[in-house]
Amino acid sequence: MGSAVKPVHERLPVALRQLIDRLWLVANSVSVRVKILGIVLGMVLLLGGSITWQVRVALETALERELQSRAVSITRDVAARSVDLLLINDLFRTHQLLGDTLENNPDVRYAFIVGPDGEVLAHTFEGGFPPGLIQANRAAPTERHRLQLLATEEGHIWDAAVPIFDGRAGTARVGLSEANLRRTLDSVTWQLLLTTVVVSLVGVGAAMLLTWLITRPILDLVRVTRAVAAGDLSQRAPHRTDDEIGTLSLSFNAMVHDLAEARRASEAVQAALREKEAARGELLEQIIAAQEEERKRVARELHDGAGQALTSLMVGLKVLSGLRTPEEIQSQIGDLRGIAAETLEAVRDLALELRPSVLDDLGLAAAIARYAAECQRRFNLRVDSRCVGFDGRRLPPAVEAALYRIAQEALVNVARHSGARQASVLLEWNDGAVRLLVEDNGRGFDPVAPGRERKLGLYGMQERADLIGGRLHIESEPGVGTLVVVEVPVPTAHDQLSHFP
Amino acid sequence: MATLTDVMYHSIGEGILEIRHGMDAVSTKQVTCWLCFVLVWAALSACSVGRAEGLPYVDLSAREPLPAAAAANVAPLRVAVAAVVSPQGTVESYQPLLDYLARRLGRPVQLIQRRTYAEVNDLIAADEVDVAFVCTSAYVIGQREFGMQLLVVPRVEGETVYHSWLIVPSDSPAQSMRDLEGGVFAFTDPWSTSGRVVPTAQVRALGRTPEDFFKRVIYTYSHDAAIRAVADRVVDGAAVDSLVYRFAVARDPDLAERTRVIYRSPPFAAPPVVTSPHIRAQLRAQLADILTGMADDPEAQAALGALDVEAFVPIEDAAYDSVRQLQREAGLWDLP
Repeated sequence: MGSAVKPVHERLPVALRQLIDRLWLVANSVSVRVKILGIVLGMVLLLGGSITWQVRVALETALERELQSRAVSITRDVAARSVDLLLINDLFRTHQLLGDTLENNPDVRYAFIVGPDGEVLAHTFEGGFPPGLIQANRAAPTERHRLQLLATEEGHIWDAAVPIFDGRAGTARVGLSEANLRRTLDSVTWQLLLTTVVVSLVGVGAAMLLTWLITRPILDLVRVTRAVAAGDLSQRAPHRTDDEIGTLSLSFNAMVHDLAEARRASEAVQAALREKEAARGELLEQIIAAQEEERKRVARELHDGAGQALTSLMVGLKVLSGLRTPEEIQSQIGDLRGIAAETLEAVRDLALELRPSVLDDLGLAAAIARYAAECQRRFNLRVDSRCVGFDGRRLPPAVEAALYRIAQEALVNVARHSGARQASVLLEWNDGAVRLLVEDNGRGFDPVAPGRERKLGLYGMQERADLIGGRLHIESEPGVGTLVVVEVPVPTAHDQLSHFP
Repeated sequence: MATLTDVMYHSIGEGILEIRHGMDAVSTKQVTCWLCFVLVWAALSACSVGRAEGLPYVDLSAREPLPAAAAANVAPLRVAVAAVVSPQGTVESYQPLLDYLARRLGRPVQLIQRRTYAEVNDLIAADEVDVAFVCTSAYVIGQREFGMQLLVVPRVEGETVYHSWLIVPSDSPAQSMRDLEGGVFAFTDPWSTSGRVVPTAQVRALGRTPEDFFKRVIYTYSHDAAIRAVADRVVDGAAVDSLVYRFAVARDPDLAERTRVIYRSPPFAAPPVVTSPHIRAQLRAQLADILTGMADDPEAQAALGALDVEAFVPIEDAAYDSVRQLQREAGLWDLP
């Protein structure tokens, strides 16, 4: 009791355990088809076998009981009918009676009559009498009958002994062979087994059909699974049945469909990314080139403008040193002051162009108004600039810079490409968003297929808008003019700085 | 997402591959064979279960000659009993008498029965029987043909005579032999006085023969069978020994209810006990002594009771003359 109880399977004999393990292994390793066949065959054979066995046992018991009672009744009949014959010593008719008994009862193997003194009075054997048969069964005169099973070389025989006339006329003995009984039994058994086999065959057929029905969609699934794994997302598992496997096929197909959709979306994103990457590279190139161009221009401006002016100043100063008269000196100083003022103007323009300090100092609205005026001066383009809803508030510097550059680019485009004489810039801030509209009445263009330079310019604007989380929209049609709209969401005042990108 | 689906494809595919592999590993045939074998073995093994071993063995094909009947050390007294009643009834009735005789004689007594009176007469004539209980007609014929010797006669109710009774089923309307015309009639034995000679003489008296008077005639060979044939309405009528009828009715009262006696013949001398003409005179005298002395022997009362007889008494041959006359009337034998 104290020791640990072993698990059941460990207490079984080794051989039995091995057998169970082996059966388990086989049951696990065989296919669905074998399992179904096994179930069908197993059930049919088990049922058929057990019914056959049961019927055989029951039939054997019944037939044997019947044979025994028949042995007794036939023998009693012989005994009753032979009494008078024996008493009047009519052995010939006694012999005939036994012969008739043998002839009319197929199961009767022999019949004979033993006299009161133990001698055989009549029998159905030919050419003698089997030794030991008389002694094999004896009925006392007081017994009604006595049954004895005999073993013979022909099989078992039920020997019945019935005293005739209370034994005074002897004993009737009749032996009934079990041969017919065995034949009947074997015939019934084989018929049942045959039926079992036939039913098994039918069962195997049905099971194979069933297996085919069950495994076909599975094999379809395997094929489609492999195709999908190989990358063919157009494959679909056929939906043949409405059972669990049919449901599996449906959900598998839905999964493949989703997968294909996801792949398509992913490819679109990648294409857009690639395109953007290419444009960005080009822009970078352009920016570097523009930077170089700007430096060259600044260098030239400095050299041609400020340098020339300073040279003129140097020459003027040298001339000044050679002048004697105050009038001449006075005149020369005035010239030199003029030169210095021009130079100062030129340097200021240059600085303004490089970085409009007005943007930092006065804000976006003022900077755009200043640039609009500049356009008037530089490009002879009349620009109306209006600013609504700012109320002295400032946007984050990055947003201000981006919007300023977008407006600048748009106006440059208008000046360079549209041929318009007039443009308008509207900047408005309301409902948590800032909108910039630049409109002209020029030639317009096809926004789907812009020229390369314009495309780059558009792309630059787009990039700037993207960087600050805004959306750029261009409406243009040849001959109608162009409208550029940028809309940038602006958080409410108290968190505008912390949440801004 | 791609990783997850890859794993799924892989596991489903591998699983199905394993299933297919398993199909090849263990064939359906093997499994079926094993199942069949186990079931057939179980079915057949059940057949031999429950058979007790150690049965007596007999070789039915062997043959050996039957041993010849052992010769008796002492020659038995051979007693024949004519089949007045059935063989079984004869054994029941006569065995006590035979046992008594055996005791008194100090030698075994063998009972011999035959179907007909004629066969018994033949056995007596051939010296195969020493003593016989015969019918009156059989005695008359045996005495005439080979000198059958009269020994004693049973006395019943003080008389040594008996009658032939004509019986019909109790619900039969017949009142006499005349009413049985066209019916089925049962004779007992062809030699029986009461069972054949008397009714034949009656029919003759009507100017007819049994063959054309009755529709059909059968032989029952014993009187109790004739009584039963009437009781069971197998026949329309029969003539029987009055002693046998009374004895049978006494034993089975049911028979009295089912049969009715419509004619009683004049008395005839009772069926005698006779001896063969071949036995020694000394044995004959000894037998006569024993039989006539039975009435006074207390030990013999059971034997007499079984026969329903009071005593055996000597009788003269002349007592049977009336039977001889009847035989002539019946015209059954060419008698002088």
